Order: sequence, then C-alpha cells, then structure tokens
Amino acid sequence: MEAVAEIEARMQRARRSFDDLKAEMARMIVGHEDLIEQVFIALVCGGHCLLEGVPGLGKTLMVRSLGEILSLSFSRIQFTPDLMPADITGTNVLTDDPSGRKIFEFQRGPVFAHIVLADEINRATPKTQSALLEAMQEQSVTVGGKAHRLENPFMVLATQNPIEMEGTYPLPEAQVDRFFFKLLLQYPTREELARIADFTTAGPPAALREVLDTADILQMRQWVRDVPLADIVKDYAVRLVLSTHPQRERSNEAAPLAQKFVLYGSSPRGLQSVILAAKARALLAGRPNVSFEDIRQMVPPSLRHRLILNLEADAEGIGAEKILSEVVERVSEVS
Amino acid sequence: MSSEAETLRKKLVELLSWERRKRREQILVTLFCYALLAALLTLPFHGFLQTVISRWFIPISFFGLMAPFFLGRGRWRSSDSARALARVDKTLRLDERALTAWELLERNETRAAALMVLKQAGEKLTNLDPKALFRRSWRWQAYCALPLLLLWLGLLWFDVGLRFDSDLQLSAPKTVAQKLREFSRELQEKAKNEGLHESFRMGRELEQVAQKGIDAKTGDEKFKADLAGMQKKIATMGKSAAEQQSAAESQQDLRDLKAELEAARDLLNIADAAKGAQELGKQWLDQLATLPQLKKQFEREGQAGQSLSQNDLKSFLDKLEKQATGELDRRTLLDAQQFLEQLMKQGQGEKGESDVRMAGQGERDSPDDGERTNNRSNLPGKEPGKREAESPSLPEFQPGAAAHVKGLLGEGNSSGLVLKAKPSAGKSEVSQDEVIASYRRQAEVELNTERVPEALKETIKNYFLSLGIGEGVK
Repeated sequence: MEAVAEIEARMQRARRSFDDLKAEMARMIVGHEDLIEQVFIALVCGGHCLLEGVPGLGKTLMVRSLGEILSLSFSRIQFTPDLMPADITGTNVLTDDPSGRKIFEFQRGPVFAHIVLADEINRATPKTQSALLEAMQEQSVTVGGKAHRLENPFMVLATQNPIEMEGTYPLPEAQVDRFFFKLLLQYPTREELARIADFTTAGPPAALREVLDTADILQMRQWVRDVPLADIVKDYAVRLVLSTHPQRERSNEAAPLAQKFVLYGSSPRGLQSVILAAKARALLAGRPNVSFEDIRQMVPPSLRHRLILNLEADAEGIGAEKILSEVVERVSEVS
Repeated sequence: MSSEAETLRKKLVELLSWERRKRREQILVTLFCYALLAALLTLPFHGFLQTVISRWFIPISFFGLMAPFFLGRGRWRSSDSARALARVDKTLRLDERALTAWELLERNETRAAALMVLKQAGEKLTNLDPKALFRRSWRWQAYCALPLLLLWLGLLWFDVGLRFDSDLQLSAPKTVAQKLREFSRELQEKAKNEGLHESFRMGRELEQVAQKGIDAKTGDEKFKADLAGMQKKIATMGKSAAEQQSAAESQQDLRDLKAELEAARDLLNIADAAKGAQELGKQWLDQLATLPQLKKQFEREGQAGQSLSQNDLKSFLDKLEKQATGELDRRTLLDAQQFLEQLMKQGQGEKGESDVRMAGQGERDSPDDGERTNNRSNLPGKEPGKREAESPSLPEFQPGAAAHVKGLLGEGNSSGLVLKAKPSAGKSEVSQDEVIASYRRQAEVELNTERVPEALKETIKNYFLSLGIGEGVK
C-alpha cells in the first residue's frame, strides 16, 4: 500500500509541477499551450525538438523562459554558413597553468548547457550540423581525442524557417530522425496578438519563478518509464506506425494517402517516440496508465518529420499532417 | 494478490461473461432468423424431400447446417475481451484503466505503478452492474425472427408448401392417400353433377380420410389398414341403395332415362300452364314415342296405353327418377368399393397401380353385370352396343395437307379422342366454317337416328342455327 501511495504522490507532484510550469510560462508566452506541453514532454522523455516556424513567433523567448523556470542553464547558437563545429562544441586553447607551464585547456562551447537553442540550424554546413547532432545522440563531445560529457538533462531545441530556403542546408533525413519531436509554431490568433502587444509594450516583464530543478526532471524521466502500458494500447501504436508504410500495401494496413504519397514510413524511433511521449503525457495528466488518446495525440509531433514523402506529394501539396490525420482516422483502437 | 485486485478481477470476469452471453444470444438469434429465412426460401423445393421428413425439421436442419459457420465466426477471442473492456473505458471515461488493469491482472504485475492502475480501476468498477450498463441490443435479425416464425407456422398450418409441392412432383410416385384424395374429389364432382347424395357423402368422407393421412404422413401400409373400415362402410351403403334398384340394364340407359324424365317433366309443366287434361293425355302419348327409355319403363309397368291424369304422371315420373338415381348411386358406390379394393392391393408393382387407375375410371362407366365391354373411353360418342359399324374412323393425316377431324356430340360424360400425328407449327389451315359444316353434317346424320331423344333434337337444331350456317339441319 505504501508503494501505491508513493506512486499516487508522485503523480500528483508531476501534475502539479506541470501545472505550475504552464502557469509560469503563460506569464511570459502568449498562447502556444500545446507547444509548451510538447516541449516539456520531450524534456522529461530526454528528447530533442525541431521547431519550425516563421521568425518572430517567440521561439527564443519560449526556450529561454523554459530554462529559467526549470532553473536550467541555457545557451543559444545562431547557425550561420561560416559556423564551425568547434564554435559549438568548444576547443582546446593554449594557456598557462598555475606553475607557468603552457598547457591545452578545453574551452567549453555553447553546447555545454542544459538547454541549447540551435537557431536556424539549416543555415550551417552539414559538418557543423553533424557536430551538434552527434552531441545530441551521444550526449558527449570529443575534442582532441578526449570525450567530454554534456550536461544532464541535455536538450536541443533547433529551429528552422520554412520560408527562406535559399542558401540553406536542409537536414539529412537520418539526422532529422534523431529529433524526438518536430513542433510547428502557428501564427497567433487575433486575441493572442492583442495580448502579446500588452505584454511586450507595457512594463518590464515580471521575473519568472523556478518550478522544477534538475533533480526533479531527472526523477520525472524515471517515472515516465514506469507508467504501465497495456499491450492493446501498444499494439495500437504499432499499427499506427505501420500504417505510414506504403510497403504494407499487401497486408492492407497502409492508409491510402500513405500508399500514394509516402516514400518511406516512420522508423522504429518513431514508435519509441510515440510510446514514450504518450507515457509522459499520461504522467503529466495525473493518470497511472497510457490511453489510446495519449497515443493519438503524440502521433503528429512524433511522426511528422519521420515520413519521407515522394515528389507527387510535393506537387500536390500533400503534407505529412494530412497523411497522419488519415492514419489516425483509419486505424481502429482494437484490431 | 490483494483482495481489491481479486474483487476487480471478479468484476471484470463478470463483465466479460455478460458480453459473451450477449454474443451467444445474438449468434443464436441470427442463426434462428437465417434458418427460418432459408426454410422459407427453399419452400418450393420441399416437395423433393421424402414425405417422411416432416417439414418441421427443415428450419432445424438449416440451423444445424449453419451453426458451425456462425459459431466459428462469432467465437469469443481475446480481441473481443479487449473490445469489451475498451467499451467500458469509453462509457465510464476510464482512459483505458479497465483495459490496462485486465492485462496487468493477467500478467500478475506487482509493480507499484501497476497496483496504482488496479486501485483506480477498482474504485471505478466495484459498483459497476454490467447488465444495467450494457443492455442487450438486438440487430435486425432479432426483430425479423418472430415474424418469420409466425409466417413459417402459418404456411405450415395452411399447407401452402405441400400444395405447391404436389404440383412440382408430378413425376414422383403418389402415395395411397394422395390417390384416394384424387379419386374422392372426382367422385364428389361426379355425384354433384348427377345428384347422387350417398356417393357425394361418401366422397367427402373419403377425402377427409385421405387428407388426414396426407397431413399425418402416414405410411401406405398403415393407411391401408385405416381404409379397411371405410371399405366396409361403402359396402353397407351399397347394399342399402340396392333395395331401390331400378330395372334399367346399363348405366348409360339410366342416364338416358334421367334425361328423358327431365324432358318429360318440362313437357308436363308447359302443358299444365297452357292446355286442358284431354289435350295433355293426347300430347303425352305422342311424346312418349320419342322417349325410348321412358316408354320402356311405361311398358314395363303396364301403363303405356293408359290415359293418366297429370298428378298420376307426375308421381310416376318422380318414382322413376328416384329409382334411377338410387341405382346410379348404388353403382357409383360399387365403383368406389372396387377402387378401394384395388387400392388395398397396391404395392405389388406397377401393374397394381395401373389397375387402380382402371378401377377408378374405366370401370365406373361399365355396367355392373358385365354385359358391355366397350366403354365410352375407347369408343367416343357411341351408344353402347349400337351401330358399331357407323363409328367415325380417324381421318388420314397427310403432311402439309389440311386435317379434318370429325367428332360426335354426345350427352353425358365427355369422350376422348387420341390423335397420334405430328403437329405442324403455325396456324390451323382448316377454317372455322369448314369445321362447323363438318359438325353440322354429322349432326344431320345423328338427328335421323333414334339415339338422339326427340326432346333434344330441337335444341340441337337451334344450336346449329345459332352458329349461322345451320340451314341444312332439318
């Protein structure tokens, strides 16, 4: 019984923390509630996010505010074509030790922070991009033959501008697959715009309160993995992922749009992402188990960047969103 | 496992049992409906089944045939349990707690997180009454089942299928009961036409017995045993009718006598209204000469030369008619008796069956004393024992040439003429005028003989005159 009580307290704490986080964020960011929830889910799952949206929607502000509320270190890297890997990871510099001898000392780059905002990641060269992506995957950087562990928790929030594609280096599919979520920033509504005007043109913004610390986040990461998942619910997630594969045509599992417009369906990482995110969503909602709805809600952010569409889709203006929407609609909860 | 978990397991088992029960009921109702539908759709073909198979068993047979398919297709699977629990979660907004709890119970999970799920699911489901929450919901088959059952029972009650069956199975051998029913209907028809009360009554009784045998699907041997009683009854009735036996020699004579009695009665009625007693006596004697059978009776009674009053004549005619009818009744009953005897002997091969038909048809026209061997079936339109040589021979048919068929109009039972020739396609090449002229010539010949009663000659003339070309009939 003690264990059950402990779990109950854990769930309540997680939910309260999340509610507090949302309340604090709402003081700084207008709208984007879903986005904030998804970023937090990615954080407690140990994933990274790719944010896509036009400039000026508050991406940087949101990430910085998140860092402050969670009392995590935050750094921002503006990606440009001349940015070098060492500019991100850091480098060994020649310096004097206390005895006056010349030694190489590792100078940490901006990647050594809990939350890293990689602004306009597609503007840097692939070499620089891969330096960051390696750090994301391994959670360590190697400079001069020596590996350096990154902070824990470590989260990269990379942004992309979907409009200005000229002079950019689109991320390779294999690297995009490493992002836990791809989140889309929507333009604010009329009411939200009015509130943004009030927030930013009146007095100075109030200081944000720390809601969670590093230890809390690491503990929550463990809790997420403990959330029970029924086999039937897991099977639902599996069938959803399989439905994005046009190769499943013979077994009639693929959605019609997927059959027509998808070149390659989601990777197994997509399934991991869906299930882990669903668990986190359940925990943050104060539920002890994963529901079908959790799975459904986590499908678009987890899978949209993992579908490789063909030229026909590009020509007809069919996006991953539409295909995933059909997939969710078609696949029944219980087979 | 804690008591809470055990309680939850019982509750979930109860819920799944209820869902299974509903599924079984649904399958059975669907099966029942489809079995009835199949039985109704195959109704026209029930006649091809053996008669011993009761029609009651047809829906049951279909039920049995379809049951493995339906039960196999609708068997309860683990996914059905998952569906049922998912429905509970949806209805009670449990966010898949029941579903997850069921799986955790199956896996005997003891992790704290799992126990938390069991606890929350238990709190929500403890007071759940599955029967109240998930009531039975019937598909269209359930609503159709009762009307179909009533329809089926109605069709059985009114024997709709059997009558249709009997039309279809023309080539199938008939049972004794069916033959008896056919004979009894013919007997009733004949008795009704000729005013034979006893024969009519017997015909009805025979039909009832036959119908009872058909309904009960009684075997031939058992039915024959039941018929023995009827045979005795007919013999008794035949004897009582014989007490009023007429002196007429043949059945045809009796029929002629009845026709002449009818004509004489008409004459009496006309005379009664128009003329005096003396004139009536004179006219009566004149007319009597044209009614041979009646004259014969008068001579037999020794009253031919006497001048009778109108009342005496009427009573005499009544007496004669009664005798003639009684005799016909007796002979008809004898025919029936013979038919039954033949029927009782049936079962000794095809010959027995053909004998039965002979007894039922041919022998009915023959006199009981065996005097006449030729009957109306093999000599159409001919009077027994008279003018054999003048019987019309069959015309010779030439391919492509017009065929002229001459027939004789006779009173009483119909006659048959079997023509064995290849029919040629297209319209007849014989005109209507030619046919009528042919009949007219034949009628002229016949009118000059004694075979046509005087009273009917005028009627025959009028008939040909009404056809428009009867000038030649004098």
